[in-house]
Amino acid sequence: MQTAATYGFLGALLLVVVFPFYWMTVTSLKSEEQMRSLLSMFWPTPVVLDNYRQLLARTDFLAWFGNSVIVAVSSTFVATAVGTLGAYGLARLRFLGRAFMSSAVLITYLVPPAILFIPLYAQIRALGLADSRAGLIAAYPSFTVPFVTWLLMGYFESIPDELEESAMIDGATRFGAFWRVVLPLAAPGVLAAGLYAFTQAWNEFLYALVFITDVKLRTLPVGLSTFITGDVYGWGYLMAGAVLTTLPVILAYIYLQRYMVEGLTAGSVKG
Amino acid sequence: MAISTARLPGTLAARPRRTGLRRWLGPDYRLGFLFIAPTAVLVLALVAYPFGYAIYLSLTRKYVGMPPVFVGLENYVRLTGDGFFRRAVQNSLVFTFGSVGVKLVIGMVMALVLNSRIRWRSFWTGVLLIPWVAPTVVSALNFLWIFDYSLGVLNYMLVRVLHVLPQGVGWLSEPGTAMASVIAVNIWRGFPFFGISFLAGMKAIPAELYEAAAVDGAGPVQRFRHVTLPGLKTIVIIVVLLSTIWTFNDFQIVYILTRGGPGGATQVLPVFTYEMAFGAQRLGEAIAVALYMLPAMAAVIIVLARYMRRGRRA
Repeated sequence: MQTAATYGFLGALLLVVVFPFYWMTVTSLKSEEQMRSLLSMFWPTPVVLDNYRQLLARTDFLAWFGNSVIVAVSSTFVATAVGTLGAYGLARLRFLGRAFMSSAVLITYLVPPAILFIPLYAQIRALGLADSRAGLIAAYPSFTVPFVTWLLMGYFESIPDELEESAMIDGATRFGAFWRVVLPLAAPGVLAAGLYAFTQAWNEFLYALVFITDVKLRTLPVGLSTFITGDVYGWGYLMAGAVLTTLPVILAYIYLQRYMVEGLTAGSVKG
Repeated sequence: MAISTARLPGTLAARPRRTGLRRWLGPDYRLGFLFIAPTAVLVLALVAYPFGYAIYLSLTRKYVGMPPVFVGLENYVRLTGDGFFRRAVQNSLVFTFGSVGVKLVIGMVMALVLNSRIRWRSFWTGVLLIPWVAPTVVSALNFLWIFDYSLGVLNYMLVRVLHVLPQGVGWLSEPGTAMASVIAVNIWRGFPFFGISFLAGMKAIPAELYEAAAVDGAGPVQRFRHVTLPGLKTIVIIVVLLSTIWTFNDFQIVYILTRGGPGGATQVLPVFTYEMAFGAQRLGEAIAVALYMLPAMAAVIIVLARYMRRGRRA
């Protein structure tokens, strides 16, 4: 009885979660005629790649994809490097202002972009970085760095002190103990944090919408949203674009799911 | 290890020479300052400074391309009496609490399902987490298409397959259903985070507690009420507060699905801020919109930060 209910709930949740992605994929493979006719609603007959062809040939999709890759990868590197050092410092080293900085990092992680986007835009413009990928790369650490730092602080705290102590008794410097003993142990955490930073940057919408006006410089999320035309045929290549935008994130996620699930719960809830 | 039990606080970096600087700035101050410097610079430049500038701008009359003119609290006073703003506040509250409430329930169901003895548990966990990692814009566009009036699959199902409705509903274009529809999408995206966090909390509850409860004759419902729920208390508080902040400030879903329409029925504060800033070009007022709820939000953030730090130590 209880088992049946459990599987019932599981089935319902899976249906609700998976259907939109299924529907997106099916739509992207349908022909224009089939879409208008409402025939064979849940399977493309015939399966056509017209939508993908049109997306790649007639829109700026590839340019947007490139922009997204450049922006997300660069800001992930910045966030992971800065966040790893900061998190280790806050979790392990004792210095004046450590408690204050820990609180500051946590609070900045919680300050929403909806408050920051206007003044950040003014700042980016004053620096001459408006309407450029560099502007987004400069702005994205505002949310990726606090997140990575907070997540990794928990990770470093869970690694026993004794390992560093024995390394230092054996003659390692403080930095050597970090670099050769703690960092390798924290690698799965760093990987998870980097992946989350990447997903956040890849998915970011508000800053990209506000900072960029040049059509060619848009990132994928903003570019895709400009496809909303209300026209029937628009949905075909819009969904093709949606499939290709989701793919990198989902592939990374499938490949590294274990780390990401652990990382998420470690970062937000427990240490 | 013998070292660990005998260790006293401070021995780690205690070197033979203890200079005055070490005493004031802490034993690891050199490496510490070096490691934290990049984070500190970024936090100052990208969060603290813009935040301070936002507060200043909200006290000015500022149009794009013109210098700001200081006007004190005028923007806030004007907003207080503004009907559109009041409606946006009300909508934001409905959107936030409606969504968080349902996410809490579905997240709990998800955690209970994944915590019971089912096959391929970790696989299902991974699948159910997908809405949380997929790009929000993609999800919003998917639902825009699903909700479409003439060709959307939802109306197709309800009218042509299940025959529960005589004709389709304009889910996002009718004031009666628009808010519920955008809330549903926010729930869809956000519930996995609740579920996965609760699941982590459930796994941390010692099995002996359940055994003891079972020995005392507690049924599944009683065990949930008296063992599971109390054990999850801190996590529930943290997740609910986190989600409250995120949902209250959610821009993408509403912007893509309705842009605040129809007729302002789903106008929430972040979208209102955006339109005021980049539609009406009134920057000072726009920031005042964003900051109006700051005292309430700051209270939530402070309470939440306290719980998150406590959750870490436990």
